[in-house]
Amino acid sequence: MKSPLLNLIPGDTYIHKLTGKTKVRTFVILLIYIIMSFDLRLLLPLFIAGIIGLVSLRPEWKTLRYFFIVVAAVNLLNIVLFWLVNPDIGTFWCGGSRTVLISFTKKLFISLETLWYLSIRFFKMITSFLISMVFILSITPSELAAGLYSIKVPYKICTIFSIAFRYIPDIGRDYENIKISMQARGVELDPKKVPLIDRIKQNVLILVPLIITSFDRVGNISNAMDLRGYGRGKTRTYYSEHEEGRADKIFKVFYMGLLVFSAIWIVSRIISPPPSKMWYPFS
Amino acid sequence: MKKPIVEFIDFGFQYRSQSSPTLYNINLTIYQGEKVLILGPSGSGKSTLANCINGLNPFSYEGKITGSCKIAGRETKTASIFALSKTVGTVLQDSDAQFVALSVGEDIAFALENQSVPRDEMIPKVQRASEIVGMEDFLHHLPYELSGGQKQKVALAGVLHDDVDLLLFDEPLASLDPQAGMQAIELIHKIHLEQKKTVIIIEHRLEDVLHRPVDRIILMNEGRIVFDGSPDKLLTSNLLPKYGIREPLYIMAMKYAGCTFTGQEVLSDIHSMDLSPFEDKLKAHFRSPVKRSPIPVRDEILRVEDVSFSYGDGDVLKDVSFSINRGEKVAFVGKNGAGKSTMAKLLCGIIRPDKGEIHVEAENYLQYSIKEIGEKIGYVMQNPNQMLVKDIILDEVELALLLRDKSREEIDVAVERALDMCNLYGMRNWPIHAVSYGQRKRVTIASILVLQPDIIILDEPTAGQDYYHYTEIMNFLDDLNREYGITIVFITHDMHLAIEYTDRALVFSDGELIADDSVFKVLSNDEVITEANLKQTSLYTLAKRLDLEPEDYIEHFIAYERMKKDNEKPTS
Repeated sequence: MKSPLLNLIPGDTYIHKLTGKTKVRTFVILLIYIIMSFDLRLLLPLFIAGIIGLVSLRPEWKTLRYFFIVVAAVNLLNIVLFWLVNPDIGTFWCGGSRTVLISFTKKLFISLETLWYLSIRFFKMITSFLISMVFILSITPSELAAGLYSIKVPYKICTIFSIAFRYIPDIGRDYENIKISMQARGVELDPKKVPLIDRIKQNVLILVPLIITSFDRVGNISNAMDLRGYGRGKTRTYYSEHEEGRADKIFKVFYMGLLVFSAIWIVSRIISPPPSKMWYPFS
Repeated sequence: MKKPIVEFIDFGFQYRSQSSPTLYNINLTIYQGEKVLILGPSGSGKSTLANCINGLNPFSYEGKITGSCKIAGRETKTASIFALSKTVGTVLQDSDAQFVALSVGEDIAFALENQSVPRDEMIPKVQRASEIVGMEDFLHHLPYELSGGQKQKVALAGVLHDDVDLLLFDEPLASLDPQAGMQAIELIHKIHLEQKKTVIIIEHRLEDVLHRPVDRIILMNEGRIVFDGSPDKLLTSNLLPKYGIREPLYIMAMKYAGCTFTGQEVLSDIHSMDLSPFEDKLKAHFRSPVKRSPIPVRDEILRVEDVSFSYGDGDVLKDVSFSINRGEKVAFVGKNGAGKSTMAKLLCGIIRPDKGEIHVEAENYLQYSIKEIGEKIGYVMQNPNQMLVKDIILDEVELALLLRDKSREEIDVAVERALDMCNLYGMRNWPIHAVSYGQRKRVTIASILVLQPDIIILDEPTAGQDYYHYTEIMNFLDDLNREYGITIVFITHDMHLAIEYTDRALVFSDGELIADDSVFKVLSNDEVITEANLKQTSLYTLAKRLDLEPEDYIEHFIAYERMKKDNEKPTS
C-alpha cells in the first residue's frame, strides 16, 4: 500500500518533521502571499525556496515529473488563450505603455508588456504549484486535520479529510473486487474490444453495488466513532500533533513576519495605489 | 453482595422502522466481574440487546424503549451514548470499518482525542493500552498492513482507557480465521482476569467461545431470553439444536454415541471434563460400522500444473499443482494472504499465471478470455451485495446471458432452469432488496449458474451466517452438487464447513500448497494445522483423551454424520 504522492507515515526530513500546525499555517500564509504578489521581486525568492523545499523532501521524481509536465502544459495553453483573447492585456497591467515587438495583424500582436504580464502569470502559477507540491508531499492526512483545526476550522470538517484518506483505499479494493466478479459474468472492460460509451455504461453497473456496500460501511464507521465519543465535546486534541521543535519556532517567526509584511503590502497598496498594477521594470 | 452493572427490568425495544418489537420482556442482571456469553441465532435480538447496552439504541437507531435498563445504575433512556461510553467499551464486528484513524497509535488514541486529553497525557495511555493487547510494536503501522486479528486488538485497546468497567464484544469471531479467533478468545479472557473487567460476548459460535471458560450463557430467541444459566447446564440440555445453535462437535459426538446427560455433568471444558461415564459408549460407537459411501472415480475436470504467480514483489503462489475431478467438493483453506484467493482468481482467468498451465477439461484455458472462462468456471463472491446490480431477481439472473447477446428463447430456458435449481422461480419478480441475505446469496449463485458452468467457486459462502442459515446454504449447495453434478470449490477458513461438506481440502500456506488430502487427514496433522492458522477441532482432543487415533476417529465421525444426514433425507 504505497501511494507516490500522499504519504501516510510521517517522513524524516526537516520539513516532514514540522508539526501539522506549522505546515498548514505556513502554507496558508504563503498562499496569501502568492495571490497578492504580481511581482517578480516577491515571487522569485519564493520560487527558489520552493525548489529547495522540494529537493529537501527527497520525493520520487519519476511521478512528480509527470505532474510538472501536465501543469506546465495546461498553464502554457492558458496563457496562449489569454493572449488570443486580448493581445493588449499587458498595457492595462503595466501602466499604459505599449511596445509592440511583433505584429501579425492590426489586432493580433505581441507587445513587450503583454509578454511580461503573461510570463509573470505563468511564473506565478508554477510557483504556487511548487509550493503546493511541497505542502502535499510533506503532510500526512492526520497532520492536515490537526493543522486545519489549529487555524480554527471546526474539527468535524477536519475529520472529513482524515476519514476520506482512510477509506479511499478500501473503496478502491471493493471496486476491484466488484469489477472482477462482473467481468467473470461477462462485463467486458477491455478498451480494445469495447467502445468507450459501452465501457462507461458497464462501469455504471459496477457503481451500484459499490455505492450500496459503501453505505453499509458508512453506518459501521459512524457507529464506531459515536461509541468512542466522537462529537461529544466542542474541542479536540490530536495524537498525531507532536511537540513543537526548534524548526517549528523558526518557521513561526518566518510565517508571522511574512503575514505582517503581506498585511502592510496589501494595506499600503490600497491606501496609495502604485502607478502601474504590477511591477514592470521597462517602463 | 456483588454489584449489578447491567440491569434490564421488563425491558422491551421496538425500532421505529419496524411494526413489532425486537425485544420483549427482558429481565436480566449482569454483575460486576462476570463473563457472560449472549448466544442466539440471527434475528434473535442479541445484537439489539447489545446496542441497548452501549447506547447505539436509541442514539443511532431510533426506537421505543419500554421498561428499564440501567448501566452502572444509570438509566439508558436518559443517558447519552457518550456518558455510556465511559462505562461500556464496545468492539464491533467489522474490524476494518471501526479502524477510523490512519495509524494504530492514532486509532487507540481516538477516544482520548475526542475528550481533548492533552497529548502528553495521551502518549502513556496509548502505550499502556497497546501493551495490554500486545500491539505496542505496531503503533506506527497503517491499517492496511494489519491482519483482521490485529485490527481487532487495536479496536479493543481503543476502548480500554477511562477504566471502562464493561467490555462488550459484538461477534468478535466473525471476521477472523480459526487461529486468530482462538487468540482473540484467549486475549479477552486474559483482560477479563487481569484488568478485572466485566465481559459480554455476543456470538453464535458456542464452541469457539468456550475455548476459555465463561460464567454464564444467555440464550436468546425471537427477542426473548430462553435460557440464562451456566454453560454446563446449557450443554446438557437440548436447547441448542432446538434454537438453531451448533453444538460443540464433541457434544455431538457424545450424543451420536448415545450418551445421556442428567444435567449435573461438567461438560464445558473438553480438556478437563470427566469422560469416565461416557468412555465405554464412545468407544463402542467408534467401533460400530458405518457405511462409507465410496467416492466414485470420475474424470478430471481441472488440472493445475506448476503454477506460480506474483504481483510484482515476491511470489504469491509458488509451483502449485493439483487436480479436481468432476463432481467433487473441494475446500481451499489457509490463513489470509496464503494464496487461496489468488488461486481462485487464477482459476477464473482474472489474473494469469507467470508460469505453469491450467487445463479445463484437458484444454489449456489460457487461450480464453475472462468472459469465456466465466462460462466454465463461475465465481461467487463472499458479500452478495457486491455482486447484485439489478432491482429484480429475474433481471439479475439473466444479465450474464444478455451480456453475451444470446437469443431471447435461449435466455428464457436457461434462466428458468437456474431459478429452478435455486428454488427462486416463484420469487423471480421480487425486488432484490426485499429478500433476506440467504436468498440474495442464492440469487448470486443463480446468476452464475445461468451460464451453466462446470465448476463454481464460492468465497466464504457462510461468513456471518448463523447455524440455521449456514445449514440452509450448505444443504442447497450439496443438492446442486448431487443433483446436477456441479463441481464446487469453497474458499473458507471454517473447519466445520470443510468437515461436513467437502471431500478434500487443499491447504495453502505462504503461497505453497502444503496439503492436499481428505479433510480428516488434514485435521489430524499438527504441522499443517499450525502452518495454516487452522485449529484443532474438539474431536481431535476427544480422540486423544480416549486414546484413539484422531485421524480414524474424525473419519468415523464424518462418515457417521453423512450417513445420518442421508437417512434423514426423504428418498426420492
